[in-house]
Amino acid sequence: MLMSRVTTARFVWLSGFLLASTILATTPSRAQVYQGRELVKAELIADTSAVVRGKTFTAGLLLRIAPGWHTYWKFSGDAGIPIELKWKLPPGWKAGAVHWPVPLKFDDPGDIKTYGYHDEVLLMQDITPPPSISEEKVKLTADANWLVCEKICIPGGAALQMELPEGGDGRPANAEVFDRYRQLLPKDLPASNPLTVTWTRTGADLHLKVHGENFARHRLVDFYPSPDDKVVVGHPSVESRTAEEVNFQVPLESGDKGVASLPGLLVFGEQADGGDRAAWTIAPGSTPAVAAKSVPAPSRGLLTYLIFGFIGGFILNLMPCVLPVISLKIFGFIQQAGQSRQKIFRSGLAFTAGIFAWFVGLALLLIALKGAGHQITWAFQFTNAYFVLFMSVVVLVFALNLFGVFEISLPQGATRGLLGVTAAEGNAASFFQGVFATILATPCTAPFLGTALGFAFTQSAAIIFAMFVAVAAGMSAPYLLLCAQPAWIRFLPRPGPWMVQVKQFMGFLLLATLIFLLYVLGAQRGLEALIWASSFLLVVSVACWLKGAFITPVASGRARVLAVIVILVLLAASGLYFIGEKFAAAKLVSSTTQTDGDWQPFTTARLQSELKQGHVVFIDFTAAWCITCKFNEASVLETSTVREAFRSHSVVKLRADWTNGDPEITKLLQHFGRPGVPLYVLYSGQQDEPIVFPELLTKSIILDKLGTLPRTVHSP
Amino acid sequence: MKTKTITAVLTSLITTTLLAIDSPPVGSAAPDFSLTDAKGKTQALSQYKGKYIVLEWFNPECPFVKKHYGSGNMQKLQEEYTGKGVVWLSIDSSAPGSEGSLTADQAEKVSAGWKTHPTALLLDPDGKAGRAYGAKNTPHMFVINPEGKVIYEGAIDSKRTPNPADIASSTNYVKVALDESMSGKPVTTANTQPYGCSVKYK
Repeated sequence: MLMSRVTTARFVWLSGFLLASTILATTPSRAQVYQGRELVKAELIADTSAVVRGKTFTAGLLLRIAPGWHTYWKFSGDAGIPIELKWKLPPGWKAGAVHWPVPLKFDDPGDIKTYGYHDEVLLMQDITPPPSISEEKVKLTADANWLVCEKICIPGGAALQMELPEGGDGRPANAEVFDRYRQLLPKDLPASNPLTVTWTRTGADLHLKVHGENFARHRLVDFYPSPDDKVVVGHPSVESRTAEEVNFQVPLESGDKGVASLPGLLVFGEQADGGDRAAWTIAPGSTPAVAAKSVPAPSRGLLTYLIFGFIGGFILNLMPCVLPVISLKIFGFIQQAGQSRQKIFRSGLAFTAGIFAWFVGLALLLIALKGAGHQITWAFQFTNAYFVLFMSVVVLVFALNLFGVFEISLPQGATRGLLGVTAAEGNAASFFQGVFATILATPCTAPFLGTALGFAFTQSAAIIFAMFVAVAAGMSAPYLLLCAQPAWIRFLPRPGPWMVQVKQFMGFLLLATLIFLLYVLGAQRGLEALIWASSFLLVVSVACWLKGAFITPVASGRARVLAVIVILVLLAASGLYFIGEKFAAAKLVSSTTQTDGDWQPFTTARLQSELKQGHVVFIDFTAAWCITCKFNEASVLETSTVREAFRSHSVVKLRADWTNGDPEITKLLQHFGRPGVPLYVLYSGQQDEPIVFPELLTKSIILDKLGTLPRTVHSP
Repeated sequence: MKTKTITAVLTSLITTTLLAIDSPPVGSAAPDFSLTDAKGKTQALSQYKGKYIVLEWFNPECPFVKKHYGSGNMQKLQEEYTGKGVVWLSIDSSAPGSEGSLTADQAEKVSAGWKTHPTALLLDPDGKAGRAYGAKNTPHMFVINPEGKVIYEGAIDSKRTPNPADIASSTNYVKVALDESMSGKPVTTANTQPYGCSVKYK
């Protein structure tokens, strides 16, 4: 048995390549016969009964394949070669690209995966005849080559011919088979239900994320790559899959650094045999609908972005969110003015360490989230009401401490005098202030920072990490400088009793921050939630007062224990009731239907319908907690000049409120390469490219851009 | 929520590791193996350390293999480079009973009939060596340098067809990789998509 197999092999080899597949001369279809078996029958067919001058029709190569055997798709996978069809058309005739039906995936022993067709396949191609044809009958010829495999592989090929009469109106022909295969062609990504397709690369792996489809409906979701010849791909695998998102890992085996995405098919199916398969075409870097017009590719180098990150971090110090904490720090420096250089230096380092700790922690968290397939954004924590609540508590406790309601004591019960801070305690406080300042900084994106982070979030883990370190370095730069040159502290006022008043005044600054945080909570959860949160904060204040009044070194041990118990019970009970029950149950009432002056709530569908009607659209991506956004709105967007300019250009104003982290808005932010709000975009209708404005708006920027628009006549 | 994230991260890490039965990446150490050749002699990769080694996955019934042997292209390469001190190992990883599976006797006959010139034709019926290298096709080519590092992995040449007429106009990647490396230059094309029949593993 084995012997005869080898003899066959040698016979085949000796008799040469072409004899391996015997082609029987039958017209118009030709059969590939191997050892007396008909493996593939090839035929050219057209979807019209006659050729009409200048009118495009579809012709196809129909292969009927013996049971158990298969031929290959345009990317054959680990083995095999694609079917090849070469038309030899008369002069003046044109052939379009080959339309390949969605293939099946075959899995062979040894982890060999191939893509192809069994039983039957039709490769379609649009053919356009010239405007004048002299013959009555048109002969169209094509060479077809294929490899057909079962356990073994046999190459086949045929010179095929098809004859069609010329003239008349050309009735549909072969409608059944053409319809069947048109159904099996991959479709373009649907524009009506915007999906987002995101490619990222980590090391040698590409990651494809498709978001927005109801993936739960499909048993099979797969990615079939179709790389060009130069790129060697491994087997794509599903990394994670949820109801609306699927993530693929596509390993690259060629060391090609420039490859950031691959063309291919997103394949769906229910049945195991793939009989009902369907697919969407994923073009390289393809993004559907709205987003197709955006995302300028990063045109700058990594270093430039890191420098942007550094500058952005530096500017964060000047943003209104951080100012209260920064003033505390400056106050700290004044306190230290009389102290030794070394102490000042250590405290500055501790503050810097606090800044780095938060940024590094945040970077690691974001990298982990990204690895798990989540969308990552700047200040995402502020979209969570419980985080805002937590920050409110921290700010309040800090303020009460400054008022002198209680002292923060570290173990050993050391009391914290204004000037007699122990070294360890001072450093711990500085570290905490650093963390605190940084957390409060996140609702602001400073100029440069948005660009830098938006770039980093699409990059590898290492670059995200590097970016956060750059931002941390930028933010801590002034303190490090001040530490390194303590002589400069001399320019600050001398310490004295006036500092007690200043300290208490700082407490009011923090209360102002608290108002901002409560405003955010209100916007997220509504008035009722705000009341419950405030009630909890009141209990927290009482707890702080209890601590200051009864837990003192002079109080008796029993009194102290009792006070601790009362504080814990108060906090637990109010936490459970006000927060666990009332706050958790509070819902914001119909915020999306609210109109906001002449602003309309943003939805992707709304944007598309406005653009379809040819309107000019301005989108304000904002959030209640975004101070930069509020500043821009008050100082630019809501001023009478700008409002009037919008009106005179008939601009439709959409407001995208990201206070609660709406995923639809997150999607669009990412398409513009932004890590979060603010973002201002103008779709001018005339040109396809939307205009993206800087994070800090000025009236003149808006007015200039509006001035470039052609004036539209008011529609009645 | 947090546990879900952690689980997702862990799962993706684990699956990546488990699924990594791909070819050793170019630049990494070539896995060792020990197989019996057509003459019944045991051949280990490690015994050729310090020499350039070409691994060629082989299946006498595959049309793509026939393309290169029928035209004499493969024999010519084998002759040229074994003449320059390169060790050329042809490996047949077809499982017994499947296409291209050879007994020692049959292997000798094929070698003689086709006038092949490898250093040895190795039989790998349980696919041990094939799987260690992630060999997917016949022919699937690997070039290993004297330091034992894989310096080329992929197709034999640039025309992915079973047609011998295409050989003349194609670039032979194995030849280019060997020539470049032997003259002290880095290999420009170190990795290509191999083409051919699938290796007929068990």
